[in-house]
Amino acid sequence: MASLFWLQCGGCGGDTMSFLSAESPDMLELFDTLGIQLLWHPSLSTLSPVAQNELIESLTQGEQALDILVVEGAIIRGPASTGMFDVKNGRPKKDLAAALAAQARIVVAAGTCAAFGGIGADSDIQATGLQFLNKQPGGLLGKDFRSRAGLPVINLAGCPCHAEVMAGALSALVAGQPLELDEFNRPLDWYGMTVHQGCTRNEYHEYRVEEWDFAQRGCLFFHKGCHGPLADGPCNKLLWNNRSSKTRAGVPCFGCTNPEFPTPSPFFETRNIEGVPIELPKGVSRAHYMVYKGMAAAAAPERLKKRETKV
Amino acid sequence: MTKRIIRDIPLNRVEGDLEIRVELENNRVVDAWSSGTMYRGFENILVGRGALDGLVITPRVCGICSTTHLMAAAKALDHIAGVDLPDNAVRLRNVTLMAEHCQSDVRQSVLMFLPDFTAAIYAAHPLYAEAVKRYAPLAGERCIDVVRQTKTLLEIVAILGGQWPHSSFMVPGGVSYVPPLAELNQCRHILKQFRSWYEKSVLGCSLERWQAVQSAADLDVWLNESAAQRDSDVGFFLRFAREAGLHALGQGHGHFLSYGSLELPGDSAVVGSGAGKQLVGSGFAAKDGQAQPFDQAQVAEHVAASWYADYEGGKHPFEGETVPHATGADGKKYSWCKAPRYAGLPAETGPLAERIVAGDPLFCDLLRRDGANLVIRQLARLTRPATLLDAMETWLAEMAARPDQSYYEPVASLQDGRGFGLIEAARGALGHWVEIRGGKIARYQIVTPTAWNGSPRDHAGVRGPWEEALIGTPIADIDNPVEAGHVVRSFDPCLVCSVHVVGADRTPLRC
Repeated sequence: MASLFWLQCGGCGGDTMSFLSAESPDMLELFDTLGIQLLWHPSLSTLSPVAQNELIESLTQGEQALDILVVEGAIIRGPASTGMFDVKNGRPKKDLAAALAAQARIVVAAGTCAAFGGIGADSDIQATGLQFLNKQPGGLLGKDFRSRAGLPVINLAGCPCHAEVMAGALSALVAGQPLELDEFNRPLDWYGMTVHQGCTRNEYHEYRVEEWDFAQRGCLFFHKGCHGPLADGPCNKLLWNNRSSKTRAGVPCFGCTNPEFPTPSPFFETRNIEGVPIELPKGVSRAHYMVYKGMAAAAAPERLKKRETKV
Repeated sequence: MTKRIIRDIPLNRVEGDLEIRVELENNRVVDAWSSGTMYRGFENILVGRGALDGLVITPRVCGICSTTHLMAAAKALDHIAGVDLPDNAVRLRNVTLMAEHCQSDVRQSVLMFLPDFTAAIYAAHPLYAEAVKRYAPLAGERCIDVVRQTKTLLEIVAILGGQWPHSSFMVPGGVSYVPPLAELNQCRHILKQFRSWYEKSVLGCSLERWQAVQSAADLDVWLNESAAQRDSDVGFFLRFAREAGLHALGQGHGHFLSYGSLELPGDSAVVGSGAGKQLVGSGFAAKDGQAQPFDQAQVAEHVAASWYADYEGGKHPFEGETVPHATGADGKKYSWCKAPRYAGLPAETGPLAERIVAGDPLFCDLLRRDGANLVIRQLARLTRPATLLDAMETWLAEMAARPDQSYYEPVASLQDGRGFGLIEAARGALGHWVEIRGGKIARYQIVTPTAWNGSPRDHAGVRGPWEEALIGTPIADIDNPVEAGHVVRSFDPCLVCSVHVVGADRTPLRC
């Protein structure tokens, strides 16, 4: 059996709600299959307040083994670094997160808020992730933190974290299988691809058939602020709720797996120079890209220009 | 001898963090204080951002009702743009919102409310073993079933809007996607399957049979009519609650508020209640009074007991000021929630309030017979999908029959102005009040249902709805105060929504 404690900090509960949509196995089947004993989840457990406090005491004192700590939501450090904007029993929740992390064999950040600070990272609540503040290593636990299994915090970014990423990461971690991580400690199995891959609008993107407005079929990258070619994540491979993705449904990708999400420039707009996006697809040189896109637009077939091809 | 104690109770199985302080006299609650213990400060993120950014940021207020915040945000921008939505856009928005409501109502009931029936204090209850079999956390048969069924229902939101939670497919003027016929038909299959599960397992009868329950006497007949009805979630809940005497708990002030919701498309077979422009009517019903028309100008928020710098009385959300002023736990202030009031009165909001305001015969009769209490409040929630599923089916069919009609009315750019989006969330009245200046958000104010239901005291020292509802609650074991949990959970608290909401200009927080 692997014991798991799910701590909610400064978040919306969306990563839990996303996880409840896991398919084959679903969340309950997954716990069963992996032999995960859920010690505590704030939305699901029935422990009395007294029993809950005893559990926390026993875990933080190291009297009871904690195999996996999952943290959902940002670590709130404000006001003035006291953490008093988010308290439990009158004490800052950030201290509880640190105390549990110090005992855990594995620490998982569920979602962008817990990984990087997310919503509120640059506001007066002084939100931070567990081991990063945006792109900067450190966060609550410090860049050198390693859990008892010798691992950094495993960052399952996304707002919310995709259910299959959570299920897949837990499966590997419980089995002791190595997860190859990127520079932000996100597992490459899911963050080693872009959201753009698998988007049904790819052909429109290829020939630079661009949309200025909503409810159309063309590409959203050039004018509507889509971060798909810049954002790392499996949204268009795994799909959401087994069905679709934002970009397929005409909603630009907002880059929510990015350590700097939410970026300050307006959503639904692409910052550009003379019609060419300032932020280009990952690793592409501007000069080549401009030539390529000019040629691509010239080569665009009528069926795309007329938006005949369905998405 | 009278024994008085004061105890803080952290409450789990709510969305977010909530602590209730109760004062007990001879094991009965004589006073209560509700404290939202977290502050996320969304306003610094929203103010100064692009005019449309509320569509992306505000769904992240809440993981269980992100589509609801999206709807309120989009309606506020529709209001500013002065745009009339195409009928199909109204239908698509409504169907996704209703799918989210059904998910929330069923999950809250089975995963959060009913597990309390497995608490040790009920070990002698004749239905205890059955309750454990059904509702034990993570293991109960009904919990397992609900996890499966609700996630499938949410596929409708993903098909029409990309993903659940946290999509941004509603935009001023309509929606971002024109669903092809094949996808609408997929939605219809999913809905049909959910409906048949809901009828079989949650109601134990057809929607039509349930809708024929029009009075307290009808409900008694219904409960004894068949084994399927007695053994359904609704039937079991009623039998367990009656045996445990829960009708006597959780009364509250008896004031009910609904903002109204689910605008009707122009050309539709669906008929609304009340004035007829919306499927869910709006209104305010003070205790023992007739429902009055709702007027958003009557909404005001107080801060006397909230951790913000004081001002006199209440302020309308367009005028609100918000200066955080943390004084610790010792003073008069004890919550990050503000105290919304309607015409100066506290008001409970949610599925029960919607039914009372609409003059629903069953719930008005139950209210007359038993007064407000936690059982009818939870019954209204568990049976709300029965009021939504027919209309969802009709609207999906109407979209499928109108493939050439528009889903989006172009809005060139948003001019400066202010607007509001007022709807009914799963938990009740939700409002976004927005001001755009120079193409950017100048002010963003959210007042959530849990701000109404879980509000602290106001300027006059009047308790919030669930504080009031706790008065008189007997607590058998102060180390595990299950009864207080019943009362508060019957309001379906969502503290993630209510403790980190948004303020005016660049001043922090607002509930």
